[in-house]
Amino acid sequence: MSAAADIAMSRRRASGSVAALVIVACFALAAAAPFWLNGYGLYLLTLTEIFVLVALGLNLLTGYAGQISLCHAAFFGVGAYATALLTQKAGWPYLVSLGAGALITTAIGAIVAVPALRLKNLYLAIATLGFGVVLQKIIFEWRGLTGGGGGLALTPPRIGGAELGATGLYYLTLVLTALGLWVAWNVSRSRTGRALRIIKESEIAAASLGIQPARYKVTAFAISAFYAAIAGGLFAYLVRYINPESFNVSLSIAFLSMVVIGGLGTIGGSIVGATFYVLIPELLRGIKDAPGLVFGLLLVIVMVFMPQGLWGMARRVVGRR
Amino acid sequence: MIANLIVGGLAAGCLYAMVGIAIVIVLNITDIANFAQGEMAMVTTFFAYWLLDSVGLPWWEGVTLAILFGLVQGIVIQQVIIRPLIGSPVLSAIIATLGLNIVLNSVAGLIWGHQTYTFPSPLTFMPPLMLGSVPVPVTSVANIVVALIIIIALTLFLRFTWTGLGLRAASQNQTVARLMGISITRTSAIAWGLGGLVGGIAGILVAPALFLDTNLMGALLIKAFAGAVLGGLTSLIGVFLGCLALGVAENLSSAYVSPSFGEAVTFLIIIAVLVVRPEGVFGRVKVRKA
Repeated sequence: MSAAADIAMSRRRASGSVAALVIVACFALAAAAPFWLNGYGLYLLTLTEIFVLVALGLNLLTGYAGQISLCHAAFFGVGAYATALLTQKAGWPYLVSLGAGALITTAIGAIVAVPALRLKNLYLAIATLGFGVVLQKIIFEWRGLTGGGGGLALTPPRIGGAELGATGLYYLTLVLTALGLWVAWNVSRSRTGRALRIIKESEIAAASLGIQPARYKVTAFAISAFYAAIAGGLFAYLVRYINPESFNVSLSIAFLSMVVIGGLGTIGGSIVGATFYVLIPELLRGIKDAPGLVFGLLLVIVMVFMPQGLWGMARRVVGRR
Repeated sequence: MIANLIVGGLAAGCLYAMVGIAIVIVLNITDIANFAQGEMAMVTTFFAYWLLDSVGLPWWEGVTLAILFGLVQGIVIQQVIIRPLIGSPVLSAIIATLGLNIVLNSVAGLIWGHQTYTFPSPLTFMPPLMLGSVPVPVTSVANIVVALIIIIALTLFLRFTWTGLGLRAASQNQTVARLMGISITRTSAIAWGLGGLVGGIAGILVAPALFLDTNLMGALLIKAFAGAVLGGLTSLIGVFLGCLALGVAENLSSAYVSPSFGEAVTFLIIIAVLVVRPEGVFGRVKVRKA
């Protein structure tokens, strides 16, 4: 092995162990969060992790497979309602209804994917937006079950007889987010992940390599809906009041922005993007009259100077590509 | 009853169509779905209102100046925000326009506040035309006529001028267009200028029908996108008819199904149409060889 290659290898190994250290440090910090954050800070951190879950799923669909979705707020909402109703009205244990709600939403995601298979770009965006509106209106109109526009107030869930407070919910979210990161990391490096990336580049090339674009697109929609639904089930019990109005198009657009701001097709981008979306408006709250103005400007500036997103920029600066 | 509903739907649909045309000009030539189009039009309309109300210009002069402002606004935005993004992922540019959408809305809120204004129109007090026994508002007729004039003018411009030819070439294949000596930054600037101009006209026609406030375009923008997709993004007349059809479908479904579920029915129709014709009713398949 040449010296240059040797140096490159050791450098790579070094940066790999640095990355591992950073990840461990982040998790240690996050695990200790309830001890150094006040109630509102903990709420924001939980919310960030919930949005990280949504962004991870959406990034798999939009970043890897190149399929735009504007119905993720509805998946998020269906997950929230299914979990809440199964826990509250059917009396199922919280974790079981969380899983069941996610499976229901996954099925809906797969169903939505089928008519979406032939559509591209803006056509796909509008069709998924339409599905989002339909799902949202179904929740709204099914008053007997969902409480309609009046919303649904929730009592704290119980796990194994003990009430799950803010700290408990935080740890549950942290564990599920860590799991979600691990799964997303592995999926993106699996046969499925590679297939999705080729589909994004060219469906014809993918098909000629024996990859069925339709099958993988439905899979991507389904996985992505699963992530959104788990996040929704956690969100419902974070805010303890859900209303069909909250799961609207603006939220879907916000999810999409998180993924793009963070960095399309990167795991780290999902984390950075979700954090940006929760924390920046909080930091700007103090600015009189113009939090929207500054936030909008930041969106524009980040995109103009870092079209690959914050994570893409960070990777370029560190020099790992 | 049903005739009234259809006329009402057409009136709403032609408002969508105006915004839809502005969106589609930019979209076809630059591939960017401009989420700021509505707010750009809103700012132009507020500028027109300021010219008429505070400066005291006569209606036609104020409106003409404002429409020119819309043109300049489009070019400036393209130069500052979109030009650096040429060659980047299209989604990045789209999210940038989303940010711009928030910025313009906040800026307008800071300047003009959040109260509503009544935008003057020379047609407001004219009695409705009677089509048999169905009253048709004059403003709706005027909107449809203006939309058709814009479509004809744009079609002639795109078909019979060198600049138009360049724009069409750029919309088909940017690389080949560049090889033929067409400046992509220039065609992109022209497209954004035209978008701003048509958007400005749309805003000025929409404002008397609705009330002028900073949320003037919020609801229209998504409907305009949906109507444009329904008609087919590659055809201007398709966009126009798609938006009219959307308006009518919306009015009928909210009257006969349910006011709140009507919107969902409209989108179900759009999805059904897209499943059968993925490029919209009048759209042509844009062949891309990658």
